[in-house]
Amino acid sequence: MIRALIWFALLSILIVSPFLGAVDLHFWDLVHTESLSAQIFYDLRLPRVLFSFFAGSILALSGLLFQTLFRNPLMTPYTLGVSSGATLGAGIAIKLGLSTVLFGIGAVSLFGFFGAILTIFLLLYLSQFLRGSQQSSLLLLGIALSLFYTSALMLVFYLGNTIQNDMLIRFTMGSLSIIGWNNPLLLGIIALLLTLTIYAYRFELQLLGVSQEGAKLKGVESKKVTLWLLLIASLAIGLLVSISGPIGFIGLIVPHIVTKLYPLTVEKRIIKTALFGGFFLVLCDTITRALPTQSELPIGIITALIGGPFFIYLIISRVR
Amino acid sequence: MIKLQNLYCFYEEQIILENITQEFPKHLSILGPNGSGKSTLAKAICALTPHHGEISLDGTNIGSYTAKERAKKIAYIPTKLEFYDEFLTVEEFVLLGRFAHKKSFFDYSDKDRSLAKQYMGLLHIAHLSHQTLSSLSSGETALVLIAQALTQESQIIIFDEPTANLDPKNAKIIARHIKQLQQTHQTVLITHDIHLAHFMNNPVLFLKNQNAHYFETDFFTDENLSKLYDVSIKSLAVQYD
Repeated sequence: MIRALIWFALLSILIVSPFLGAVDLHFWDLVHTESLSAQIFYDLRLPRVLFSFFAGSILALSGLLFQTLFRNPLMTPYTLGVSSGATLGAGIAIKLGLSTVLFGIGAVSLFGFFGAILTIFLLLYLSQFLRGSQQSSLLLLGIALSLFYTSALMLVFYLGNTIQNDMLIRFTMGSLSIIGWNNPLLLGIIALLLTLTIYAYRFELQLLGVSQEGAKLKGVESKKVTLWLLLIASLAIGLLVSISGPIGFIGLIVPHIVTKLYPLTVEKRIIKTALFGGFFLVLCDTITRALPTQSELPIGIITALIGGPFFIYLIISRVR
Repeated sequence: MIKLQNLYCFYEEQIILENITQEFPKHLSILGPNGSGKSTLAKAICALTPHHGEISLDGTNIGSYTAKERAKKIAYIPTKLEFYDEFLTVEEFVLLGRFAHKKSFFDYSDKDRSLAKQYMGLLHIAHLSHQTLSSLSSGETALVLIAQALTQESQIIIFDEPTANLDPKNAKIIARHIKQLQQTHQTVLITHDIHLAHFMNNPVLFLKNQNAHYFETDFFTDENLSKLYDVSIKSLAVQYD
């Protein structure tokens, strides 16, 4: 019953969300495509809501994926520094003023993707030196990498001029304000690809979520599967971060809430997590737009304000 | 059939087993002091740890099998059950043994599910089906692990210290199941439990100081055991029969 209510509430927010924002829309104007209301609705609000939904799905699913593959609820792309890697990559591209487009994908996205991939491979390489019992040290490695990237980004700021820095600072706060349909479509395809891949490997993931050794013994080509899944997730995270900037904590919070709602094995939580993540980020974005602030509050600030205390709660409840 | 040829095993860059050549009989017990490399050897056979030399299974190097082919040949039962996914039920866990037999990307079939049920019935743990793994006692866990290995329908089962965490009564239950399984499977039994090994009464491979000594018979004499384990042993006491 509670579950149904929660899903119903989230779905209602998704439907109401495009009608909320700084400008009040006139509902009957929406049928006239020439009106200002219609333009705001179709070119700004609707793509933004869809973009947020796909972004939330990608963040939540990657969170669930990382937690399961590394068998630790604190391991997500954000806490392991993958998001920071993507941010640094995209930041460098912005600083260099790169605007080349390869196969319809901008240089900023490509740099973001490489930042994410590089971080993943660095983590996998470094994790070889950890013994089985020290797997949680991987989290420390991720934090070390994050700090390093942050300093490197500071260096980029230091070298940049005022206009670039203003862009960069806005970028690092995370923002879901996008214009037009290109980004939502691209992100939608990637979100679908990520969901389908994870779903296709759901039983491998279920076995890897028990133990790595056990998975190998039951016939999972664990190295291959792990690499493949991490590669697709980095592609999604890299692309997302290069468009919206880093949006923290969704990958940590959403899988946890879904687990509380549905205490089931990971294989049965994949689709639910993807949907919940989408709805949840739309909710957060709706809050930023509905707040009576002078200019719009960056989404990264909202998710971090909710996520920070939640992270502390997770750590404490785990120790207990 | 498992065959080791000039096998060297390492654990964290330390040499554990040195130049071992041994053909396994149908049933083999592997004994030896702590740290003598029993588990390392088992993991090498399952291709979990790197080794030098050759380990072959039915005439083919174990490295040449795909993970699924290997899972259909060998099932390994660990001493302890480690898991992260805390919401997995016993039924779902036992079903995971069917992974190598199931069609890639598809769900487990009805046949897989009925086999899992059948083996849980065989081990008298059907009543645990809907419990989560974390709620099980050590005795129940040992049975669940065996049920999962059975669903793999492999020709060989390796038991890694199956009675290590068990009280004598549960140990006896497990011992009887292992004995029964010897009629349908080839087995490798790694253990510190001399009573258990004696009850199985199979040939023994004794590992000590990087070397292996093979005993076809005459292993379980007080004199021999006292010499090998460096403690005095007087006629084994617990009876599993």
